[in-house]
Amino acid sequence: MNGLAFVWREALAGLRRNVTMSVAMMLTTAISLGMLGAGLLAVRTIDRTQDLYYSQLAVQVALDEPTSAGDPDCSSPVCAGLRGQLQGDPLVAGVTYESREQAYQRFLRIYAGQSILQLVRPQSLPATLRVTLEDPTRGDALVAGYSTRPGVRNVVDQRRLVEDLFTFLGSVRNAAFGLASVQALAALLLISNTIQVSAFTRRTEVGIMRLVGATRWYTQVPFLIEAVITGVVGAVLATVGLVLGKLFFIDRLLSGRLISNAIPAVGMSDVLLFVAPLLLVIGAAIATATGYVTLRLYVRN
Amino acid sequence: MLRLENVSKIYPTSARPALDDVSVDVEAGEFVFLIGPSGSGKSTLLRLLLREETPTRGNVYVANWNVARLANRKVPRLRQRMGCVFQDFRLLPNRSVGDNVAFALEVTGKSEHTIRAVVPEMLELVDLTGKADRMPAELSGGEAQRVAIARALANRPLVLLADEPTGNLDPETSDDIMLLLDRINRAGTTVLMATHDRQIVDAMRRRVVELHLGRLARDDARGVYGARR
Repeated sequence: MNGLAFVWREALAGLRRNVTMSVAMMLTTAISLGMLGAGLLAVRTIDRTQDLYYSQLAVQVALDEPTSAGDPDCSSPVCAGLRGQLQGDPLVAGVTYESREQAYQRFLRIYAGQSILQLVRPQSLPATLRVTLEDPTRGDALVAGYSTRPGVRNVVDQRRLVEDLFTFLGSVRNAAFGLASVQALAALLLISNTIQVSAFTRRTEVGIMRLVGATRWYTQVPFLIEAVITGVVGAVLATVGLVLGKLFFIDRLLSGRLISNAIPAVGMSDVLLFVAPLLLVIGAAIATATGYVTLRLYVRN
Repeated sequence: MLRLENVSKIYPTSARPALDDVSVDVEAGEFVFLIGPSGSGKSTLLRLLLREETPTRGNVYVANWNVARLANRKVPRLRQRMGCVFQDFRLLPNRSVGDNVAFALEVTGKSEHTIRAVVPEMLELVDLTGKADRMPAELSGGEAQRVAIARALANRPLVLLADEPTGNLDPETSDDIMLLLDRINRAGTTVLMATHDRQIVDAMRRRVVELHLGRLARDDARGVYGARR
């Protein structure tokens, strides 16, 4: 169909005619899509981190002093009774016992070379039943159910301890999405306005085309293609931005000694295979929808 | 070919109707002058035929189309079968002469092959052979109007509507344009031309339809411009 070549040429001519506006449109779109991409990467990282942690997290049932003392294998009646109850609990996937001596050895490993070691005696540490759950979110029920049992000092849901980290990552994600939506609004308005200006400057030309019998295909599709090109170029720029951001910012941040084991790295495949195609589709779709609505509402010819 | 039945057109911003109960019938192959002073309704009548406006009352027919009731999406079809030229030429300013003519063919979905064959043929018809690569700004008024005529004829229209086609041209150039329109009419195309150029009308001795303040004042088979003004 030769009409296709025609509207394509017209669209490119339209973008060239108003270069500054076209560039502004593309950059705004790129920034909003970049923000969205960053948010999506944050979500993915949060999911990964949660998977990583929740597979290791457990509910720790710390035993009181008399029950902890001198029981290397949970053979005392109180400990064995607790273990039996926990193993029979439908919430519980597995139970392992860590004796006071084992806890002390682990403590020595973790804090090797630090002054805190001199303050701690094995007697300071409780023996623990580490309980993994069928559903990691149901730790509350276990805390409520076992805290007051005889022989129990306290019950700690480790999930609670890392929730702060997820809250932080979640707020990173929310901030990215928030900025993305504000920026997206700006991009939409800019695209809409550019199409209106472009249609207005070309109204005589479009009027002549209509008189000669041109259908809307000829007079309006070029504007839509301009919008799609904007969306696609915006998505490509956003992807380039995310790749650079990953290489020069995220990678450095996450390779820091403190955090490298706490948060899994963002992979290049996450950027290129997961986020980039999404941005491309979203960018093109939103730009097209904006263009279509603008033409319907504001451009009569 | 063209038929107006009791057509009235009232613009919301105007107290007097632009057209008031006008009925005109134009047969295929006719050459008709539509005359009258400014504001008499000539342009409104042409706009109704091209479906740039819809009548307030009455019916407008072009060939088999009931123009006033035509669905919006079918309007391009109608216009593709009508040629129109204007006082101000209305060429696409950033396209060459050849591309202006080609555009009319392009919108009707003609193949690249057909377009390459028809454009030179049309330019030859209006004596502009060899000027296909000129831009509209480089043309004289007479040349620009010839390009407009070539574009209007490219799709072999049922009817050629001309709204003051000589209004911006000097008398000599006007005569050339009239010779061209006459030749086109003799080749079989129906022509309806709005004008207030007395000399042209008197020289051609064709059918004259006169409008006055939106009403049909006269319809003579072989008329002159008239003695009243």
